[in-house]
Formats: sequence, structure tokens, C-alpha cells
Amino acid sequence: MKKVILVADDSPSIRKFVSFALAMKGFEIISAADGMEALEKLPNQKVNLVITDLNMPNVDGFELIKSIRNNEEFKDIPIIILSSLAGSDEIQRGMNYGANSYLVKPFDPKRIAYEVSKFLN
Amino acid sequence: MKQVNNMSELFDRLNDLKAVFRYGQKLIPIIQSIIDFMRDTVPLLEDINHSIADSTSKIPKAQDQITNVSSATELATTEILDLVDSISADIVNIENTFKELQKEEEEKGMLWAQIKSLLPDSAEAAELINKFENGRQFITKSSELIEIFQKIKNDVYNITLSLQVQDITSQQLAAVTHLIESVQKRLASLIVHLDESDLHGFEFQKAYSTKGTTFDPDARYTKSTERQEVADEIINGALNKTSQDEIDKLFS
Repeated sequence: MKKVILVADDSPSIRKFVSFALAMKGFEIISAADGMEALEKLPNQKVNLVITDLNMPNVDGFELIKSIRNNEEFKDIPIIILSSLAGSDEIQRGMNYGANSYLVKPFDPKRIAYEVSKFLN
Repeated sequence: MKQVNNMSELFDRLNDLKAVFRYGQKLIPIIQSIIDFMRDTVPLLEDINHSIADSTSKIPKAQDQITNVSSATELATTEILDLVDSISADIVNIENTFKELQKEEEEKGMLWAQIKSLLPDSAEAAELINKFENGRQFITKSSELIEIFQKIKNDVYNITLSLQVQDITSQQLAAVTHLIESVQKRLASLIVHLDESDLHGFEFQKAYSTKGTTFDPDARYTKSTERQEVADEIINGALNKTSQDEIDKLFS
């Protein structure tokens, strides 16, 4: 059975890039345009890992991570932040909120597949 | 004696009054020139006011144009990525078929070796088998082809990396749009201060609307791994860096 990855990013092209990089490695991808949509989609399917942007409308990445970590059912899902914000403050804040890894945009497709494999294989 | 003092005081006052009149006479041309200056300035201020109103009314169009550019590049990028995706899937199929053929050829080679061993006395058969094996270039060329497949796959990955410039420029354009919106608000407030009657036809609703987009004004497109290395260092510490070799191993 394919492992399912939920990708939350308001940029359609980034969602496609991530899908491209991970679908080739045999993962199933679900996309969400913001944190709110991600939270709505999370209970619909068994999600094995979440990749999220930080700057998103409605519910941003930090809030999404917080909501996942505060939910008994989903709190153990690995979370990878994928953001163009590369300041040490944002990285530290993301990790403090409970992310497991942090990738900076533009990202290397190989690196994201590697990072996902670290948590799912 | 008291009367003399009063008269002296009266003369002093009259002298003061005379001085005021003399001073007033000197002031009159200055006041006149101020009035003339203000009279000349009013049309200039009105011109400025109209220019600001005109510029402000054009700003929403500029914002729309920038947004359209972002949408167009987004669409084009998605289309290119669809094609890259399709090419990539084809390459994987070709590579898999090639590997099957390679396996078959190896098996055939083993069969020929067996046939050769079964015909030790026939020089003619051995010569034919040797001739046949020398003509088979599949095995010798296969390593070259595998290298080419790997190169194509790397190129495809690099295309996707380069295409991410669209996301970064979109964020930068969103930052410019936001800046324009701020300038527009300032200009609009200037118009209000100068003359509200000049606001005819100006779409305030649009001027103050927020488009609900998010962006990072400092987003940068770079192929350097420096920013990722900083992130890795914060997460893992300097001694536990992710090496490129580890990543490449996953794709070899």
C-alpha cells in the first residue's frame, strides 16, 4: 500500500513540484491550498506525513503544525516544513512548534524525497 | 508737574503709533507679494492634486497587470511541469524495458556459451558463434545507455529546480503589489487632505481591498545550498549534516 503525503502550499506550482518529486518514488500525494484545507483533508485518509509551507492564507503553516500536534489522533505524524523563509528565527520557531524537518525553497527534488524517505522507510 | 509727565507719555505713545504706521507701510508690499504667491500657487496645487488623483486611479490597473503576469507564469510553469512529468514517466518506462532487454541478453549470452561448450569439436560452429557474439553490441553499449538515462533523469530534476523560479518571482511580485497598495493608500489620503471634490471616479473599494495572498518579500531564487545548510545546522547541529552522497545514493 502506498504511503500518503499531504502537501499544504498556496502555490499550485509548488504543490505540483512536490508531487512530481515524490510520486516518482511511489508515494501518494494529497494537496491542500492552505492550512485550513489541510486540516479538513487530514481525517479523510490515513496520512503518513505532512509537508507544509509557512506563509499561507486562512491558516498558516505554524497554526497547522500546532493543530496537528494538539490532536491526539494525528500528533505523531512527521511534519516537514517547506518554505522560502530561511531565517534562523523562523526555522527555530517551526521546530519549536513541532516540525521534524525544514527545507528551504527552492528545493532539490532529490533532497525532499530523501527527507521523506528518512521518516517513512 | 504731573501734567507735564502725562503729555510726555502721550507724545511717546504717538511716536510709537507713528512707528507702527511706518512699519505697516513697509509690510504692505510684502503682504501683497505673499497674496500674489498664494494666488499663483493654488492652480499649481490643484495640478498636483489632479496628478495624484490620476496616478492613484491607475494603480489598481498596475496591480491587476502584475497579478496577471503571476497567473500567466504560474499556468505556463504548470504546463511545463506536466510535460516534464510525462517525459519523466516515459524515461522510467524506457529504462525498465531496457533493463528487461539487458537481462534477456545476458541470459542469451549464457545460452550461447552453453551451446559452444556442447560443440567442442566443430570449428565451424565455434567460428559462427564467435562471429555472432562479436556482432552483439547490446551488452557493451548498455553501460553507456544507463549513464545517458541517469543524465536525462538528473536533467529533469534540474528543470524542476529551475522552474521553482516562478514561485519565488510570484512572491516577489506579490511584495511589489503590496508596496504599490501602500503607496496608493498614502496618495489617497493626500487627495483627501487636499480636496475631496477631486475624488470623483476613484474606486476606493478596490484601492483598499486585500487580495488574500501571502508572500515572503525576501524570497530568493538561488541554486546555492547555503540557506539549506544553515537550516540543517540549526536542526541537526554542525556535526550531523546531511551529505549529498547520502541523497544521491537514494537515486542511483
